[in-house]
This record gives sequence, C-alpha cells and structure tokens, in this order.
Amino acid sequence: MSAVEEKIKEIITGIVHCEGKALTPTTTWKDLKADSLDLVQVLVQLEETYGIEISDTDAEKLKSFGDLVAYIEGVVAAKAKS
Amino acid sequence: MAPPRIVVTGVGAVTAVGLNTADFWSALTAGRSGVTSITRFDASTYPSKLAAEINGFDPLKYMDVKLAERTGPYTQWAIASTVMAMEMAGLDMQKERSERVGTVIATTGDVHKIGDETDVLKARGPRRIDPLFMNRISAHMAPVQVGKFIGARGPNTSINSACASGSDAIGMAFNHMRLGRADVMVAGGTDTLVSPICVATMGLLGALSRDAEPGKAPRPFDKDRNGMVVGEGAGMLVLETLEHARARGARILCEMAGAGWSYDARNDTAPDPEGEALAMKAALDDAGMKPEEIDYINAHGTGTRLNDASETRALKLVLGGHAYRIPVSSNKSMIGHLGAGAGGVEAVASVLTMVNGVIPPTINYVTPDPECDLDYVPNVARKAEVTGIMSNSFGMGGQNCAIIFRRFTGA
Repeated sequence: MSAVEEKIKEIITGIVHCEGKALTPTTTWKDLKADSLDLVQVLVQLEETYGIEISDTDAEKLKSFGDLVAYIEGVVAAKAKS
Repeated sequence: MAPPRIVVTGVGAVTAVGLNTADFWSALTAGRSGVTSITRFDASTYPSKLAAEINGFDPLKYMDVKLAERTGPYTQWAIASTVMAMEMAGLDMQKERSERVGTVIATTGDVHKIGDETDVLKARGPRRIDPLFMNRISAHMAPVQVGKFIGARGPNTSINSACASGSDAIGMAFNHMRLGRADVMVAGGTDTLVSPICVATMGLLGALSRDAEPGKAPRPFDKDRNGMVVGEGAGMLVLETLEHARARGARILCEMAGAGWSYDARNDTAPDPEGEALAMKAALDDAGMKPEEIDYINAHGTGTRLNDASETRALKLVLGGHAYRIPVSSNKSMIGHLGAGAGGVEAVASVLTMVNGVIPPTINYVTPDPECDLDYVPNVARKAEVTGIMSNSFGMGGQNCAIIFRRFTGA
C-alpha cells in the first residue's frame, strides 16, 4: 500500500468509523455507509493534508476508494512536477 | 370536549451536581453546590470567576463515537437525559406509533462558538471551516438528534425564549398533546452559559456574581445576593396523555396540570413583577387551580438583586397571603443558571420533589432581606407532602412562563 493510500485510509477510517471493514479499490462510500457529511469531512481533510483544492466537479467523480487514491496520487504528482 | 389529561412518567437530568438523575437528586437534597472556579477557560481577567460546570460526562455511555463527534455537548446532554427519562418511563419505542411521539427542546445551542469559527473563516478562508459546524452548534440540532436517536417522528421543535425557554418547551409539548397532535412528548431544556463570551457579556451587564469563593454564590433571596452564576446541563421529561400511560401500564409520577405565558413589555433587562404574575396567573387558570392548591414554588430564583425581589412581589400578587404560607426554593443556588436549560432541569426537580416528598433547599441563604420575605427553605432540605408545584422561568427581556405539576390522584 502506497503512502498516499495509507494516509487516505487513515483519514477515512477516522471520520467514517469503518474500523474493521476492508478498504479495497472498489469499496464505495455506500459500502461504508458513509453519508454526505462524512464525504465533506474527508475531502476537507484531504485538502488540508495535501494543500490542494478539490472542485465539486472532481468530488462528484470520486465514488470509490480506488478513485480517491488515483485522484490524490495524480494531484500530488502534478504538484511535485510544477 | 375537554382536552386529555397529561401525566409525567419519566425524568432525566445531567447537571454540575450529578451526571445522572439519581446523583442530581441526591446532591440537590443534600444542599451540595456544583459551583467551582471556572476551569473551561482562563477567567482571571473576567468579571465573574465562578461556574457550575459539567465535568466528566462521557457521551459514549449513551451514543456511538460518530454521533458524539457530530453533536455539541448540549445535544449530548439532551440525549443522555432523554435516555434516562425514557428508561424511568419504561417507554419502548418499538411499541409506539413513531409519528405520535414528539420532541420539544429549549436551547440556545452552542452559539458561543460562532466567534471561534468566524476567526477560522477570516484567517483561512471558506474551505477550512469545520464541516460539522452546523451540527455541533445549531439550536435545532438538540431536538433533531434526540428525535432521530429515539425514532420519534411527531412534532419536533426547538424553542428559545431566553431563560424562560425550558418551561416554555414543556408547556408547548403539553399543549401539543392537549390538541391531539401527539400521545407522548419528550420535552425539556439543555444549554450552557459557561463560555467566555457569555461570562463577559452577562458580567458586563452586572448580572453575574463577582464572588470568587466556590460554593458560596449564588445566594438567591439573601440580602447580600450579588448576581447569578453561569451553569450548564439538561433536564428532560417524558409526558404522555393519561389514556396512553394507562394503556401501557406506565407508572405515573404526577400530572402536568397547566402552563401559562406572559411578556413584560417593559424593560430589556429589569424584570417586571406584574408581567411575571401574569404568567403565574395564566398557569393557575389553565390548570383550573386556586392559589391555595399550590404548596411549593420551584422559583426562578437566579440570585440577582432584581430577579429575586421581583419574583417575590409577583408571588404575592398572584397568591396573596398564601405566598407566606408555602415554601419557595431555588435550585439555581446549587446548579447555577442553565439558561434555556434551567426550566427543564427545574421541572425534573419539581417532579422529583413531588414523588419523593422532599423539597430541595435554597443554599447560601444567610441574611434575610426585607424585600424577600417568604419561606425560602434555607440551606436544608425539608420533608413535605407536596401536591401542587409551580415552577417559574423568566427570561431576560421579559418573556415569562410558569408550569404546574399536580399530584396524580387517579380521579
């Protein structure tokens, strides 16, 4: 598991309180029984952690754990290049 | 058609003198003060340095970690008090029609925290504020979360009429049932006045005691009283129609007999005895009771110079000579002023007074005041068969509410 993946898992678990549930690339918010308040908290904490801004359009596309990891890794890599 | 009779079947409280109903009642009747030096924040430069704080309350005893994270302390105390009241009432929501059970809770919410979050907003921008801000501070979240927690889908309302709120909420719940809108209502108040902005503001207005010695203030009805002490906590009742209580074989603690409201329409800060008397008279009329049928007053009794003298005058206006023959005591002498929560907790104390036949004292009472010349049950609890209790709540600005509990006779 990459560092980004580990960090995202830690953030999600801390907010959604889904300890004990497996987080795989295909795990969705629905699988975790997370609601919109959980989602907003996760996004705000990711923005804070990585110094980024996640647009509403992007956020809507992030349906699974895998989507989120790929998105953040992409943004972090792009940020490192710039 | 006569409205249905309403009874109380459960009570619950979280206060500075006890984190559960039994501890609260035992401290109250022992005359134990919950007032200490303020620990919540550094109050060294504040005009008042005392508070009746809730410390050691564990929300996880009553709810899961997620709900605890999404709620402010005022909501958590309301949930805990509701759980206790429902346990006492033996109310099983699985057996209830959820849309016939409602919730009315008085609170200001944690409005004191708006300033802190506004600081974050100004310093770090709109994307960095707490996403749970609304959930944690809004007044409506107390009844919302209590209603969700117990699964009550009937009327759900939050009330704020300053320090009259708690009684106001119970009166509103009472009337919901009398109008046929619900069979059961969970009602009361929850609040905190223990915050820097509140102590600063109320201190500036001269409403707070300047004393520094824990446990010696407030001194309701005493000649040397010098202001209220901020407090916090929650008190909730389970109220239901007599028919509903009987049908499920519930133990009836007492009857709720009446509620009355008034507004001073006089002064922003000074209380008006005639305005207060109007609420008490309205409650008596609503209950269809004579002054002589009231044998104990759970006073608003804040410990400010103006309130206690005004309340004493109002009691004489309404009760006449009978005012001199009945005990009047202030729970606030021990638990401080709970703001919107006060009427809720004092209703819990009123019901327990009737059930247990013990009147909690007014502590810190040393020197009689010619302006306050009634029987204030000084310092020591008193055994008494009480059959009619009026609980007074008066808000800054002049909103008044009085509620009446009566011994349930079955007749």
